[in-house]
Amino acid sequence: MRRVFLLLIVSLFVVLCLKACIRQDVPEVYLENNYGSSIKNIDYPNDNRNITIDGVDYIQSQAPIGKFGGELIVSTIGEGPKTFNPCNTKDATSSSMAGLMYDGLLTTNPRTGEVVPQLAKGFSVNGNEYTIFLRKGLKWSDGTPISVDDVLYTYWEVVFKGFGNTATRDAMMINGKLPKLYRIDDYTVKFVTPKPFAPFLRQLTYPIVPKHYYKPYSDKGLSVFDAFLTPNTPASEIVSSGAFKLKEYVPAQRVVFVRNPNYYKINKNNERLPYLDKLVYLIVGDTNNEILKFEAKETDILSIRGANVARYKMKEPVSDFYVHNLGPDTGTLFLVINLNNRKNKDGKWQVPRIKQSWFRNKAFRTAVDYAIDRDGIVKNIAQGVAEPLFTAESLNSIYLNKNIKGHERDLEKAKEVLESSGFVIKNGQLFDSNGNRVEFDIYTNAGSLDREAIGVMIKQDLEDLDMKVNFKPIEFNSLVNKLSQTNDWDMAIMGLTGSPLEPHDGKNVWMSNGPLHLFNQRTPNQKYDDRLYWEKELDEIFEQGALKLNFNERKPFYDRYQEIIYQEKPIIYLYSPIRITAIRKKFKNVFPTPLSGLIYNLDEIYIEGEN
Amino acid sequence: MSFFRLVLKRVLQTIPLLIIVSLLSFFIIRLSPIDPLAELRLNPSISQETLDKEIKRLNLDKPIGVQYLSWAKSFVKGDLGYTSAGEKVSVKLKERIPNTLLLTTVVIFMTWMVGLPLGIISAIRKETFLDRFLTVLASIGMAIPSFFFAILMLIFAVKTGWFPVGGLTSYNFNELSLLGKVFDISKHLVLPTIVLFTISLSGLQRQMRANLLEVLDSDYIKFARARGLSENQVIFKHALRNAINPMITLLGFEFAGLLSGAALTEYVFQYPGLGRLILEAVMKSDINLVMASLMMGTIMLILGNLIADILLMVTDPRVRGAKE
Repeated sequence: MRRVFLLLIVSLFVVLCLKACIRQDVPEVYLENNYGSSIKNIDYPNDNRNITIDGVDYIQSQAPIGKFGGELIVSTIGEGPKTFNPCNTKDATSSSMAGLMYDGLLTTNPRTGEVVPQLAKGFSVNGNEYTIFLRKGLKWSDGTPISVDDVLYTYWEVVFKGFGNTATRDAMMINGKLPKLYRIDDYTVKFVTPKPFAPFLRQLTYPIVPKHYYKPYSDKGLSVFDAFLTPNTPASEIVSSGAFKLKEYVPAQRVVFVRNPNYYKINKNNERLPYLDKLVYLIVGDTNNEILKFEAKETDILSIRGANVARYKMKEPVSDFYVHNLGPDTGTLFLVINLNNRKNKDGKWQVPRIKQSWFRNKAFRTAVDYAIDRDGIVKNIAQGVAEPLFTAESLNSIYLNKNIKGHERDLEKAKEVLESSGFVIKNGQLFDSNGNRVEFDIYTNAGSLDREAIGVMIKQDLEDLDMKVNFKPIEFNSLVNKLSQTNDWDMAIMGLTGSPLEPHDGKNVWMSNGPLHLFNQRTPNQKYDDRLYWEKELDEIFEQGALKLNFNERKPFYDRYQEIIYQEKPIIYLYSPIRITAIRKKFKNVFPTPLSGLIYNLDEIYIEGEN
Repeated sequence: MSFFRLVLKRVLQTIPLLIIVSLLSFFIIRLSPIDPLAELRLNPSISQETLDKEIKRLNLDKPIGVQYLSWAKSFVKGDLGYTSAGEKVSVKLKERIPNTLLLTTVVIFMTWMVGLPLGIISAIRKETFLDRFLTVLASIGMAIPSFFFAILMLIFAVKTGWFPVGGLTSYNFNELSLLGKVFDISKHLVLPTIVLFTISLSGLQRQMRANLLEVLDSDYIKFARARGLSENQVIFKHALRNAINPMITLLGFEFAGLLSGAALTEYVFQYPGLGRLILEAVMKSDINLVMASLMMGTIMLILGNLIADILLMVTDPRVRGAKE
């Protein structure tokens, strides 16, 4: 009798647990293509203006006037910043925090993506000469004037000498030559590039650093400079020019910024911005913790992922937050095929000969592309919160080739293409023209649930072509090692972040000697030329495209490169996630844009009801 | 005299142990396919030049033996080196150790203060309702995985809003008064402490109960009872002193766990302690940081055992005799 009773209790418990689980995971309403306030309905303020008051050249924000005070609390996933030195950031968290404290000469218009003045008052471009006019009367957070010396120091002694992260220096280098920088007078400098070079202007968004604070360290050499401004530097010591300055950094807990009293942006009442007293980044370890903190109202902003979108959208009307749809992400998710036909150091083929003959065969790659069911992936894995992707440029890129329309899944066509290239299906198994069974591995990094799920779906899709696919999620680091060092892989599901503004940033991927030329990775010192004909064209495009200055002149080059990738399919693009973000309703002056996201204008955001 | 010999012997034993542990762990970490630069390699804006610079800085271009020797050399000098992000390892450890110590000492203090008496009570009141009840509690405590319990606690915190969701201090901590600071930290400590307390309490309580029961069953206790001593005298003067010895060894292990025992719970609660730091370091193969923490763990273990031995010498005359 007692046993029966116990059994009953246990089974009741299990049933209740299961029921709780079921209710959690299935959103009751499937909100297709309706995730959050659309960006199109937002009434953007006019662009900033320059205004001079008492000899100081301010930027005047044209956003509605707000109230001063209050704080905004956001979360950042991971270990927190590794450095506050804006010249030495190598990860997103560090660079966004350093970016808060240091402004560049120029910046990007958050809506149009144009290059606009920031620390500079204006600029003029004449062929390969870039003249920059500085603002008068600006001060660092410690009261020292921001002068032409700071600009010269930043470029001459930090960027050009290769201190810190050299990405900007590399990007400015044209045929191995750096641009020249001249001082014209106290408020004017001039850059001269060896040739007209389109990506150059955007490089001038590089943060300007205070010479009086940095020089003692950069004088001591590279290694001292690299270790300079670690997060443990006393906050009061750090001198900044941006809207905020550092207040405190508590390891693994938070980073707190406060208003920079000398910030040079003012509102329409000519009061110095920013409105917020404080900006707090809570350092959280993973997404689950981030969600919990938002639910517990400890943070004000949350980026919402696929499965949760429907739930938050349903809660929005009765909650204290708005859900914003920021449109497709700048990141891309893709299946890359290894076209490598080289031997490794030991004289062994990096990709077996038989597989080379498939992967280097355009028909094979086309069949793979047509067999993949992108719509299914978007619906099942991204919960509909994504767009199918067919281009190498991300969907919000200003250089997106809109003529590439993509295609539906078409198994018939895929089979036709395979057959025309000599592949045959026997007893439900695909063989190549030499009678080899088509079997290969698809790798991805274990731990990324989305990619693992995509892998399973692609495996099934390709099995419809009677290929045998072994799907192998492996540790992230091992995967990178395979992709960049040993090259012994077949296909991989990967993602890369891209720039929606400057396609030339992808040159490390697309140029045949690039260190990230995933699909046909060459060793850095390869002597002979074994480029495929379309790789040659890509090289040409990326060289030429950078030399044209005008957007309309450049666009055709980058249209063509996307076309080549779409036709040749060394990389098969899958989808771009749509970014959905929630922010508490009390925050005003929030003008999300697809290019810059939700809180690019931290200096203008204010809290309703604060005094 | 024997005391100093024991200490000296232990210290000498430590040296080969440290060498073996460091060799093993260094090679295992370095031979694992984890590439500390993987994330940089996948960043399209990082040039080959920057990568080469990083490889040089992290000594990755040298053979593994040379890497080990250069690490060992600076370790002997007391220099723990730099993390892969370029920060001093010693600084990193120093900022986390107090946090972990705070949590673990609170937990250990509480478990021992509660666990020992409970164990004693349930041994004395063997087979009564109280004993059974404590047994059930202990079984639950032992059966529930710490990370799962921690997640349940987090959900509890979110739903009720009574406790903060993880962390150690609130964002406005520095503006609070002293009393406010103490209260703020205590509020953050409650949930992780409950988790760790429940889990280690069960083991300790069961252990104490078993020890005492075994002693209570022995002949000299029967003899003591036969001599007509009161039950209190029997238990506290004779039984307990003998039952406590294995617990002292256990205390030595607890000491070793001071710095590393709470890693999983720390991670779930986003507690800014050593556990989270080291876990993240291992995932990135941040060799200097991982090695420093492993060495620290080894030293703590040896130290813990040493302390336990010394305490045993104090409490147990037999050990003293044997050592002489």
